[in-house]
Amino acid sequence: MELGPAAPLDRREPNTPAAVRGNPTEDDFERLTLPFLGDVARFARSLTRNPASADDLVQETYLQALRGWHTFQAGADPRRWLFAVCHHAFLRTARRDARYVDAPDNDPELDSLAAAVAHSVAQRSGVVDALDRMDLGPAIARALDTLPPHFRGVVVLIDVEGQTYEEAAAVLGVAVGTVRSRLFRGRRLLQDLLFEHARDAGLRPLAPTSSIVSHQ
Amino acid sequence: MTVPTLPIGAEPATIDCETAVRRLYDFLDGRLPAMAYAEVELHLSTCLRCPPHFEFARKLQAALAAERSAGPADDDATARLRERVRTALRRERDME
Repeated sequence: MELGPAAPLDRREPNTPAAVRGNPTEDDFERLTLPFLGDVARFARSLTRNPASADDLVQETYLQALRGWHTFQAGADPRRWLFAVCHHAFLRTARRDARYVDAPDNDPELDSLAAAVAHSVAQRSGVVDALDRMDLGPAIARALDTLPPHFRGVVVLIDVEGQTYEEAAAVLGVAVGTVRSRLFRGRRLLQDLLFEHARDAGLRPLAPTSSIVSHQ
Repeated sequence: MTVPTLPIGAEPATIDCETAVRRLYDFLDGRLPAMAYAEVELHLSTCLRCPPHFEFARKLQAALAAERSAGPADDDATARLRERVRTALRRERDME
């Protein structure tokens, strides 16, 4: 369930230098938000997978943030708030570009199971060995490039940025359960893309598959 | 990640492969209750086939985490972007 973008965040992080007391004024905007421009730029780069698009997204994020500054609550974490604005702006662009794919509402554990099944198949066909011989970094970057936007956002927040499910839910404006289902699906898709990448690289053809996990 | 601990005297049950791999991502993310976590650990200590699935998923997570530090740390580019954003913000304010 979507809870709406850029919902005001109320968790103060005492060690965050920009955490403030009292209602922030318009004059506070740049002082409180610009120190996080590097973080927003990195997040935008992870989402868009393109330097020029990322810079455009950062600019759009700050313009949207300025327009919505009156909704920023004193004591909230400006970095997380900016991430929420950034992700919302990214999804709006993604929808416009017709790359938007909605997240499924299913049993997330099925994605864990499916990932293990796909791994078994890839092991038997030699794709996992091939992937082990590759430089995983560029392969991961390429897989992230093609991961649908909704899944990319949550995978980037949790697996790249190291946020908790609860923090990611606040940024994305969705329930924690939705974060979990998108994350599991995103990881499974990412793994499929990696295997595809290994096969495309001509490292080993995929063998026919007939059986599913039936170990014990 | 904090590994959940079982109450003293509690014994994890034996689980099959499907149950174990259904818990794969929750296990890696440390989001399983203590008993469910211990059941997966017990399974992994006796099963010959499941550990590679968990190891591979863990390896992918590590590679994704490395993406963060692999990102551009170009101070000049960030400074240019900061200036571009400041200019856009000024223009936005002037239009109000």
